[in-house]
Parts: sequence; structure tokens; C-alpha cells
Amino acid sequence: MAAINHHHQDTNTPVTANAISSSKQPPPSAKSVDTQSVHKRLQSELMALMMSGDSGISAFPEEENIFCWKGTITGSKDTVFEGTEYKLSLSFPNDYPFKPPKVKFETACFHPNVDLHGNICLDILQDKWSSAYDVRTILLSIQSLLGEPNTSSPLNTQAASLWNNQEEYRKMVEKLYKPTA
Amino acid sequence: MEKQSDGDESEQVSESFICCVCLDLLYKPIVLACGHVSCFWCVHRSMNNQHESRCPICRHRYRHFPTICLMLHFLLLKMYPVAYKRRENQILGEEKELGVFSPNVGDLLCTSHAKKESKVLDAQAQSSTSSSNGKQLSTNLPSIRKREPCANMEQPEFIALVQNNSPTIPKQITAESFESTRIDGVKVNNLSQRSSSKICQHVSIVDVLCALCKQLLFRPAALNCGHVYCETCIIPADEAIKCQVCQSSHPSSFPKVCLALNNFLKEQFPEEYNARRGTVQLKQVNFQHESPPTCSTKKESLFNWWGGRGLKPHIGVGCDSCGMFPIIGDRYRCKDCKEAIGFDLCGDCYNTRSKLPGRFNQQHTSDHKLVLIKSPLQNIMLKLLNRQLEDGSPASYLSNETSENTLPFLMQSDNAQENTEHDMLAPSTSSDTEEPQNDDAPPPPPPP
Repeated sequence: MAAINHHHQDTNTPVTANAISSSKQPPPSAKSVDTQSVHKRLQSELMALMMSGDSGISAFPEEENIFCWKGTITGSKDTVFEGTEYKLSLSFPNDYPFKPPKVKFETACFHPNVDLHGNICLDILQDKWSSAYDVRTILLSIQSLLGEPNTSSPLNTQAASLWNNQEEYRKMVEKLYKPTA
Repeated sequence: MEKQSDGDESEQVSESFICCVCLDLLYKPIVLACGHVSCFWCVHRSMNNQHESRCPICRHRYRHFPTICLMLHFLLLKMYPVAYKRRENQILGEEKELGVFSPNVGDLLCTSHAKKESKVLDAQAQSSTSSSNGKQLSTNLPSIRKREPCANMEQPEFIALVQNNSPTIPKQITAESFESTRIDGVKVNNLSQRSSSKICQHVSIVDVLCALCKQLLFRPAALNCGHVYCETCIIPADEAIKCQVCQSSHPSSFPKVCLALNNFLKEQFPEEYNARRGTVQLKQVNFQHESPPTCSTKKESLFNWWGGRGLKPHIGVGCDSCGMFPIIGDRYRCKDCKEAIGFDLCGDCYNTRSKLPGRFNQQHTSDHKLVLIKSPLQNIMLKLLNRQLEDGSPASYLSNETSENTLPFLMQSDNAQENTEHDMLAPSTSSDTEEPQNDDAPPPPPPP
């Protein structure tokens, strides 16, 4: 046996929904297999996420493309991030869930493990990824990462060095917090 | 979570039988050594091409792609004929498009039978009070409360039924099992169906027997070959576990109990399961003085030995007999199998002339010729050696072109990034055949 290497390396192909809405042509039926199964899984996730009613996290596909989601997390109580809300973007590869989605902060987040472009350093989004993780567990992990940063390998060294002074840190969070509309 | 698509609304798939990877009903289920269950393709695609794989749920390490658990396969087929058929069609469609196939596990339920069952199920769906979201406990408390009186009404009838069937079981146990049914909405549902419309007729104890003791499975655990035993029925001989049914050796440590199946058995056959508990506990007293059954087999220590010598795996290639993935050490590739997935054996399985069919429904026969392919490291070492002997310029093989092509491949270390891993796949899968990439590289520059 050999590994079946059918997954394409290119980034997400937009789902055919645009074509459907813009013209009366029937949607192309020959959608690639992997895209179909990823589609199915993401739909199941969406259902589960909407049913779960977790507080402090939410996510929904962006417009018509189920491969791109927008998520929000709120800072947990009793952390310096309490009362703040952050938008994130999640972009799923064609071989999801065998490869992790790309997750970025859209709202600026002053955090030791988040860089100025919103990139997140979190092991489960990289080498510790497991196909059993889903949007819900990702968002919950990021939410708990907010309150429990890993200051030993920071992306934002300023934030890492300030972490020990929680009072000053809170001021920084408030100062830099720019909620998106 | 229930699947409502394609007309199988009537079947409420238990949470235990939802694959954690595709989030749908398990199809051709595989039980990993840690006891977690996933679909054939979900396991295969989750496996690591270069290193040992880890269970998606618990990260338990494993090196062998297990065989489909047929017992669980037929159990699910019986329990959810409509949903299982839908999954079959769906997966078959995907397989056809990809040109790779999962093993053919015999004809699934004949159509007329399936139709009959689905009619029964439709009737049940209409008569039963269960909502389609019966298992969402947190969101559905009102509906569970609504059902409670109904379950209570059926209680006397149920106890009478139990007492008739098995007079030896003390009342205490039935009361206890009933107590639990009222706490858990899922069970309420199961039992009310059980006593009213006899869903238990779909599954009988005969479907869930231990491969060795032929009794109801108690704390079931599956071996790499897919056969399921009671935990206490797996007894390692000479430090190694061998399947008593198919005689294939279990290449990893002692398998853990499959909790999904275990919980199902407890719910479906409470009285029989408790009876088994009694006998097994008696048996265990006798076994207690023995050392705990943890064994690392010879094969596992060989892996360490190989790993220690820097022998690299055949990236993305697995053994079609024992399931080792990726193959470490000698690899034998079939020259005659036409399937895209190919047919390969590891050194051990080649030497023992394993008669198992391929894992992907390959049409491999004993007339086919197998060719030896050395592990990539050996391969490259030999090439370098040959080249050195040929042109007698030892310095040349370290220079640009050759090293560029071979070194990244060699240096796949344990912390190789996931991203590069995928990129590496393309060259490596082609280079691990007899013609490694460095053949294509221009010859080393002639010495000045």
C-alpha cells in the first residue's frame, strides 16, 4: 500500500456558490472528492457549534465560502483580557481535517504568542494538530491561551516581558484594544 | 450528533459510533490499539507518512495500520442499515473517483432485507416519542422529561421481561440498571424502544461474542488483525500476542479496551453483561498474582534498533500484510499489481510468505513477482559507494547536485515541519522505488 496523495497543495478553491448565485447555470457537478468530504465535515461542525451554545466563542462561515470562517472569542473572566472581544479568521485546507486550518487574529491582540500580524503560535495548530480537533476546540484553546500564555517562546517579546506585571498588562490591553465593527 | 441526511432520520446513531474524524457514522471501522475507533479511510489518512502515527483522540503511538474490525462493521450494519448503506454509497463514490478501494468485506445486507428493516424503522419513528435530537442532553431536557413518564409506565413490563428471561439475575441488578436508564436520556430512548418495538431484535448477543471464549464480550479489546476479544481472553505467549483466530501476530503492546463498544454492550445487554462481570471477576482472582499483561513485542524492539541505526522509513509506503506504516527496513514491491496504491510487503511478512490479501482490495496473487527495495538510507549509501568506486573521486559526491537531491530527504528528522512534510512527499514517493532521484542528477563535475 502507498499513501494516497490526492490532496492538492494549492489554497482553498472557492466553493461554487458564487457561480450559482450569479447565473442560472447548474452548479458544476464534478467537485473533487476531498472537497466534498471536507464540505460535509465543516457542515457537521457548524451544526455542532451552533447547538453547543458555548459562551465566549462563536464562528460562522464567511458569506458563501464554507472554507473560510470568521470566529470570535471573548476574553475569559478574571484574566487581563476580560471584557475584550477578538475576531479571528479560519481558513481550511482541502485536506482538512488531516491538516490544520490557518487561524489568525483579525483584531489586534497584545499577547505573548500572537505577533503583530495576528499570527498565532499554538502547537495544536502546527505539529500537535490532530484530525479530531475542530473549530470549537480550536477556539476554546485560543481562548485559554489568552489567559495562559507560553512566555518562554514568545512571538511578541514586549508582551511576554510585561506579562508578570498584570496591572500594567491590563492597561496595555485596554490601550491597544481596537474592536472591529 | 445525529445525521438526518438522505432519509435515514429514523436511525438515531449513538454518539459512540460517530467517527471523530469525519463526524459521521463509522464506516468500515478500525479499532486502534488504544481502543479508539475511526473509519478505515479516516485512520489511513490520519496516519503519518514518515513517522509513527498517533491516535487522533489520545495521541497513543502506533506503527501499524490495523485491519477493519468486521464484528463492529456487521454490528453497525445491523443497527443502522439505512445510514450504513448511505455511508457505503458515499465512500464508494469517493473511492471510484480516487481509484483506490477499501477492502471488500463481503456483500452487505441484501437489498430486500434492508428495505424490510427500514420499513420497520419508519414505523418506529412514527410511533416513538423521541425527537430527532434525543441525544443532545443539554439542549433537550424538556423532551427527556416528557418521555420519562412513558419510560416509567414501561418499567413493570420491562422488569417482568427480564425476570422471565433470566430468573437467576437478582432484582437488585435490574433495579440498578433501571436507575441508570432514567438518568441518561439516551438510554431511556433505547429501552423504551426496546420494550415497545423490540429494537433489540436487530442485535443479539451472537453478534458480539468474544473470538475466543464465545461468550458476550466483556471489556472488549481488538487486535491489529481486527478480531475482538474480552480483555481477559488475550493472553500473551512468549511476550507476544497472537490472534487465536487468524494466527497473525499483534505487533504492538497490549490493546486497550474499546470503550465505545464496551459502553454499548453495557447498555444493550445489561443483565448479560453483569453476569459476565461476575464470572470474569472470579477468574481474575486466579490471575492476579501474574504480572500485568504489558508486553513489548520483539518487533517493537526491532523498531528501536532500526531507529537507533538511523535506518529511514520508506516514506508513505506500508506493508499490506501486517500494516506497518511506513515500512522500515527491507521493502518488497509487487511488480505486477496494477492498482495505483500498489502492493508492498515488509521484510518480515515477505519472509513468512504471508497469504493475506492487500489492504486496499488489490488483486494480488501468489504468481506476482516482488522486488526488493532497500530502505532509502541504504539505497543512497550504496549509490554513493558505487559512484565513489566508479569514478574514484570521493569528494565529488558531497558536491552540489547530488547532495541537494539526496540530503533533504535524508535529513527528515523527527521535528520536520508539517508543511515541508507534504512537499517532501512528491519527490520521496517517486524516489523510493528502484530509481532514486539522484540518478537523474547530472553526473558530478569532472575533476579539474
